[in-house]
Amino acid sequence: MDFTLSPEHRALRRMIREFAENEVRPIAMEIDREHRVPIEVMRALGKTGLLGVCFPQEYGGMGAGEMGYCLLMEELNQASTSVATNVGAHIGIGAMAIYLDGNEEQKRKYLTPLARGEKFAAFGLTEPGAGSDAAAIRTRAVREGDSWILDGGKVFITNGGYADIITVLAVTDPALGARGGITAFIVETDWEGFKVAREEDKMGIRGTSTAELVFEGVRVPHENVLGKVGEGFVTFMKSLDMGRLTLGAACIGGTQMALEQAVRWARTRKQFGVELAHKQTIQWMIADIATELEALRSLVYRAAWLVDTGQPFTQLAAMCKLYGSDVASRAINMVVQIHGGLGISRDFPVECGFRDARIAEIYEGTNEVQRIVIASNIFREHGIRIRP
Amino acid sequence: MRIIVILGRVLDPSGIIVKGKAGRIFVNREEYILQPADRCALEAALRLKDAMGCEVVVLPRTLMPDDDVLRQALARGADRAVYLQGEGPGEMDVGGMTPVLVAAIERLGGGDLVLTGAVTLDTGQGQLGPRLAGALGWPQILEAWQVNVMNDAVRAVQQRNGSYVTVEAHLPAVVTLRSGSLKLRYPDGVRLINVYRGVGEIAEALMAWNVTDLVAEDVLHPQLDHRGRDFPPDRERGVRVEGTPVEAAQAVAKALRQRVRQ
Repeated sequence: MDFTLSPEHRALRRMIREFAENEVRPIAMEIDREHRVPIEVMRALGKTGLLGVCFPQEYGGMGAGEMGYCLLMEELNQASTSVATNVGAHIGIGAMAIYLDGNEEQKRKYLTPLARGEKFAAFGLTEPGAGSDAAAIRTRAVREGDSWILDGGKVFITNGGYADIITVLAVTDPALGARGGITAFIVETDWEGFKVAREEDKMGIRGTSTAELVFEGVRVPHENVLGKVGEGFVTFMKSLDMGRLTLGAACIGGTQMALEQAVRWARTRKQFGVELAHKQTIQWMIADIATELEALRSLVYRAAWLVDTGQPFTQLAAMCKLYGSDVASRAINMVVQIHGGLGISRDFPVECGFRDARIAEIYEGTNEVQRIVIASNIFREHGIRIRP
Repeated sequence: MRIIVILGRVLDPSGIIVKGKAGRIFVNREEYILQPADRCALEAALRLKDAMGCEVVVLPRTLMPDDDVLRQALARGADRAVYLQGEGPGEMDVGGMTPVLVAAIERLGGGDLVLTGAVTLDTGQGQLGPRLAGALGWPQILEAWQVNVMNDAVRAVQQRNGSYVTVEAHLPAVVTLRSGSLKLRYPDGVRLINVYRGVGEIAEALMAWNVTDLVAEDVLHPQLDHRGRDFPPDRERGVRVEGTPVEAAQAVAKALRQRVRQ
């Protein structure tokens, strides 16, 4: 058992850390205040190759594997959850669906520019009536010759406002539902009939675009069916497994940031004549954060190792997302407490961190859905198929 | 045209705490980074490569225990790098390294321009450039902010007495770059992974030479003997001067007079 990072992953971490410190941290507070997507940062990330970190080099990626992708999310999220979220939606679910189930031609045409950061991706799953119950989507695709006509709408689509390519899930056979009646499509956003209806005004991750999308008779060529007709639900669930794992990695970064802020404040802030560091109440909080952080890091790195060695990882991916978002939220909550009144001041990054942490418990499948995934895997091993 | 860049490493200052009272340096995180001034030299070379298509070859400043800084340079766009292996890593000072580097440059088939950092962050020494220029018999330009090559000459911008001056020297020449003068580009992702993984063309660009093949063994000795480390005395607390400019000036004059009397 070897717990050390490989030389290329150590070098990669150093590169990402340098990028995050120089290009992301200085604008983190500004993009939150201005509710602005830092598109210039996304382009700069693309130029270095980091937006293709986990994809093979033959498709314009770096070939650093899932472990490399975890390091990217961890380091970026230390500097800004908004930037990490933009990247996560682009790589982890948007482009990932094409990588996992796209054919050779689709990978050359779509994955390569996405991996190089020349184009940006989003993942179109959620609808007003289909959140945790993803199979209840209503966006409809009807075959018309060599094309499919797409009608419907998606909500809460991260990167939706600026993405060039969106993987969209639509019903192709209402009678079959999730078992053969749902298909994934690759949609270019400059096609006629596509429009961005509105942007959400959010509490956290304000440096991201969360958009409502409308498809009105969008003509999608048959060659843009992702995977097989009727098997889109499986493609999307596989992509979400990847996204959940790296969301756990992002939570390592958020928790690390919280811990560092706590230690910095406990070293300088004096009460009752001594620094907070000498107060046992504060020590216990910091010890708890550090312990959970270490446990989370071990869980996420092990899950990444499973992916990189071609082993099943769905169960651990759900645990990464569930435990990671809980740990990150608990940590930042304690760090706000350690900062006292200043913890809710907009002058301190912990305030932004507190607002940003909440969404991790919700998106990419709520934590309640993760518990269902984990429990159903356990029961399945014992011959029981739990009912929704 | 061949540009030779000489790079060194330094312990990452963000990972260490200096405690003068205890007379010790505490290393919390032992990580090495590229010497900041050497980063500028590398960027200057890569910009010349972008503009003119010249070859950039990287050599180490001293004998190092690993080739990490060379791999970093290759990941950022250098064409070739030579790792110099020998006894006593890190022990070789500038005096000892100069003949080694001169021999390495000769073995490379010579060069047109040598670029390196002006001053090192840890030891504060700035002798490598001048010593190399002396040993090679080339002109030198020290502490440059910018470097350009025009025809057979190198043109550099220096800062003197608060203003910028442009100076020129015939090639071949040695130019040292000031820390902070240029922002080093980020590595290219694919090159980074391949050079550290040791695969592809980029991995073949990293060579290793033994120093004993370059110079005679009796040349290979440091010229300085390190006998210990001392810390400067603690600085006294400053005094805040209040009031109008006239009052403040009088207060400063009074304080200075008192200090002279003491």
